[in-house]
Amino acid sequence: MKTSLLALAAVATTLAGPALADKLDDIIAAGTLRCAVVLDFPPMGSRDANNNPQGFDVDYCNDLAKSLGVTAEVVETTFPERIPALMSGSVDVAVASTSDTLERAKTVGFSIPYYAFENAVVSREGLDMANWEGMKGKTVGATAGTYEAIWLEGKVKEWGAGEFRPYQNQADVFLALSQGQLDATVSTVEVAEANVKSGNFKGIKIVDKAPMVPDYVALITLREEYGLINYMNLFINQQVRTGRYAELYKKWVGEGEPANLTIQGVYR
Amino acid sequence: MFNYNFRWNQALNSLPQMLEGALVTIEIALLSMLIGIAVAILLTVFRLSGNRILSAIATTWVEIARNTPALFQIYMVHFGLGGFGIHLSPFLSLLIGIAFNNAGYLAENFRGALKAIPDTQARAARSLGMSAGKAFRHVVMPQMLRISFLPMTNQMVWAILMTSLGAVVAMNTDLYGVTSELNARTFRTFELFAIAAVIFYVITKAITLSARVLAARLFRY
Repeated sequence: MKTSLLALAAVATTLAGPALADKLDDIIAAGTLRCAVVLDFPPMGSRDANNNPQGFDVDYCNDLAKSLGVTAEVVETTFPERIPALMSGSVDVAVASTSDTLERAKTVGFSIPYYAFENAVVSREGLDMANWEGMKGKTVGATAGTYEAIWLEGKVKEWGAGEFRPYQNQADVFLALSQGQLDATVSTVEVAEANVKSGNFKGIKIVDKAPMVPDYVALITLREEYGLINYMNLFINQQVRTGRYAELYKKWVGEGEPANLTIQGVYR
Repeated sequence: MFNYNFRWNQALNSLPQMLEGALVTIEIALLSMLIGIAVAILLTVFRLSGNRILSAIATTWVEIARNTPALFQIYMVHFGLGGFGIHLSPFLSLLIGIAFNNAGYLAENFRGALKAIPDTQARAARSLGMSAGKAFRHVVMPQMLRISFLPMTNQMVWAILMTSLGAVVAMNTDLYGVTSELNARTFRTFELFAIAAVIFYVITKAITLSARVLAARLFRY
């Protein structure tokens, strides 16, 4: 009697002991992977005609869930909401084109890069802007909280002329540009091309590449979740190795080579 | 389940920038109140005028200002007018949006205040030989402003809080704008917004308290 009680207690403690389970265990146990994805950022994230999430990031989240053997749940967030969503535990990871700056790495845990953006300068027709330096002294804007917004604001401060405006989302930036409220914006080449092609915004055109270090973006989760970060690193490696990265690039971005995710001359 | 370690020192380093933002917030709120009060008085006069067109204008204004979100009003000032080629800076868009909202609410406050003033007063003033305009300016309006002084304070508090909506028109120099930009850079969401909340609280508390002191001094019988 006494031994069986003890055994029962021992079993109960093992079952109830979540202390050692980390996020990776939790996701597998829950059977669901909740990804924060930004859905007004085509071609990385957007909604199709039936209002379902689609895009590179959405597929990437589905792939990650599939590899874990769980179902994916896409949670729409804006760029500024990514961190609160992670911290409050309402999502497990963010597959949201997050630039891996050192400043941010003090707060969240980054995987290795899973994509890299080049940025383009987009201006409007009827404005004489030959190259990116033509932005000097003009009213320029970008999507608040993005890598290119931080770069562009820095440039405006450096020039000491012109004005920088951070709009809340990509659509508002292009709306302001096509209305003539902005003279130019900087956005990823992918986003710029998708929006010029869509015809939703009249009179905008790509002028030049923006001369910045490629914008490497990574998956993010909580800083201390090493198990999950390790898994994500291997997953990204496998995506490239198996050709899935190139496949997704072709599907969402178009022909051509996807950006190289390694950096010459240094270990990760 | 809250996975966050607070690191206050990093966020507190940004305090000077945030306080500068707070000054812009106060500036916008004050200006929007001055404009709002002036327009609200005008709308009140329109309504009293008995002219059908003028009072229709006033009613439409009040209806839109009170029955649509302030966010929408500010957005429309920037992008709505922008569609017609009228380009306002983020500062002006926010200021005009809030002033529009203030005017609508204050006009309604003034209407309530007018009801509390017996109309025999206006008639008495007229019988003393004052013109209708003079009677309004010297007899009715001062009492109207006195009665609606505390509701005006409320509106001022609202104006302060509404400045945070400026983000939709790319406003980045007010308290909310500065805070969210710092947040994008550092991801220290919770410290930064906690500090911003405290600053907002201190400003609005200071307004309500000083309004109470002011009211006690101004309106002694």
